Amino acid sequence: MYRLILKMAWKNSFLRPARTLLVILMIAISMSMMLGIQGLYDGMVKNMIDKNKRSDNGDISIYAKDYRIEKDLKYRIKNGNEIKEEIKGMTGVRAVIMRIKADGLASTARKSSFASVYGINLTDEERFGKFSEFLKEGEVTFKKRGVLIGLELAKKLKLKVGSKLVFSTQDSSGEINSIALKIRGILQTTNIGLDSNALFVDIKSVHKFLGTSKSEATQISVMLEDDSLKDVLKDKYKDLDVKSFLELQPMIRQMQDMMVIFNSVTFLIVMSVVFIGILGVMYVSILDRIREFGIVLGIGMRYRYISFQILMEAIFVGLLGYLAGAVLGAVILLFLRDYGLDLSAFSDALEMWGYEAIITGTIKLSYFTTTFAAIITASCLSVVIPLIKIKKLNPIEVIKAEK
Amino acid sequence: MIRLENVNKFFYKDEPREVHALRDINLQIDKGEFSLLSGPSGCGKTTLLNAIGALDSIDSGQIYLDEREIGALNEDERTSLRLNDMGFVFQAYNLVPVLSVEENIGFVMRLRGFGDEEIRKRVLEVATMLEMDNKLKSLPNTLSGGQQQRVAVARAVAAKPKIILADEPTANLDSKNSKSLMDMMKELNEKEGISILFASHDEYVMQSVRRIIKLNDGMLVDD
Repeated sequence: MYRLILKMAWKNSFLRPARTLLVILMIAISMSMMLGIQGLYDGMVKNMIDKNKRSDNGDISIYAKDYRIEKDLKYRIKNGNEIKEEIKGMTGVRAVIMRIKADGLASTARKSSFASVYGINLTDEERFGKFSEFLKEGEVTFKKRGVLIGLELAKKLKLKVGSKLVFSTQDSSGEINSIALKIRGILQTTNIGLDSNALFVDIKSVHKFLGTSKSEATQISVMLEDDSLKDVLKDKYKDLDVKSFLELQPMIRQMQDMMVIFNSVTFLIVMSVVFIGILGVMYVSILDRIREFGIVLGIGMRYRYISFQILMEAIFVGLLGYLAGAVLGAVILLFLRDYGLDLSAFSDALEMWGYEAIITGTIKLSYFTTTFAAIITASCLSVVIPLIKIKKLNPIEVIKAEK
Repeated sequence: MIRLENVNKFFYKDEPREVHALRDINLQIDKGEFSLLSGPSGCGKTTLLNAIGALDSIDSGQIYLDEREIGALNEDERTSLRLNDMGFVFQAYNLVPVLSVEENIGFVMRLRGFGDEEIRKRVLEVATMLEMDNKLKSLPNTLSGGQQQRVAVARAVAAKPKIILADEPTANLDSKNSKSLMDMMKELNEKEGISILFASHDEYVMQSVRRIIKLNDGMLVDD
């Protein structure tokens, strides 16, 4: 019997082909748009996290206790090199960097601004986060007192490649010390903190400038292949401040949560559209066939068979809409992943908030599975009202009405 | 087989426009009968047919099908009774438009849970009897009115019900088709032994049946 009911449901789904195709199209378009928006939202946050990790914190960062509060050189990791080598040797570790940082004042002949000097090793940084990809102008080199400067800081101090500046700070012994630097490259990491304040200098020069030893560091950052290592590192270096990326960047966590809310709202709106669309088509379709239902009830068809038939009709429409939407959505997502959405017209605003001007999307299987579940649920719910109408149907009324 | 005792039915009961549709009807219809409920429009033919077919309730009296009182059944049991023991033919043919002739004829059998092979054989048998065997794969909308009504009859007959209730089955047919349909129904009644009760005021039906039960103003006036 169920085979025949499925056949009836399938054929009835296309009893008014134009109407059904319109609903399928409506589901497909709204679903594909939703998938595109979801992919973009997630892509924005993913890119931001990726850039932040690559340019600064990695998956996990290690500091001396109190360093993150006091930001003072006296809270530095004394055996940084030893820890770096130890971590490097662990399986599941992709790359490790060691940095030494000091806050101070960057000055030119005309302007000055707060800045932070970061002593880095370019080879390690390249392995850690493809550092050279952040280069906006110039070249990635520290030769001849070279410095790589954050884009916003360069704008603030009106500096170009080849310009000179002086960075002054308190060294490890508490003395005010200065270093003259020549800009070799301008970087744009879209990490707001770095772009507005960072001066990247060769780590050896910074050690010398600050009077610290080569094995000392203010930050050790680790890129992991295996996330479970986070807990291992936290356990191993209990006397240090070991923090995961999201612990260090609570704003990004908030943004992730915000994106979940945005996605959920979009999802809800689209599902409401789907629900109303299917409800409309099912309701009209049932009104069209009310006599047919009355008669089959009259000849002894059970209500549960009719319910099943109507439910399957709605599911068929929802399913076809889903399939069309999934194909269209996949095409949009693939385009957004490979080519991105060029929002260069709003680049200043976007970059100020740490986003790139060209936003690339992400593709997750979960987009398709949750949408599938939601569309099927919406399809099932959309038949509740029509089914109530049929439940109330008195076959005799229909039979009388035909006369 | 069917026995009616003091059956009364009102419409708009206890309202100023109350209609006493069936008045103390006492009637017996035996197995294999080919009978007609006749009378002028509004005399209660269809109301009585619907009451016998467990489609409509009555206000007093009893209706028995093989000593089983229909009035005492709940909605589910009435549905089962209609499915298993009765066949219906309505004025409008009321076929399932998306199913082929073959599927429409086998529809009630399928609802009753007959097997594929049994349905196939029986459908072919009934369709041949009603001269519809060459249209089995056709959809109802490709058939003439007379052919559609024959399919509706075939659907009612196929599952071998105890009784077929046919309400104005010839009302939408021309005289040629009406005669042809009645001949076929008579043949079915004789060959299959299925009781058939009509409600109609059609001349052809009156000429074909073996028993005429006359109603007027809801009362049985002649049998």
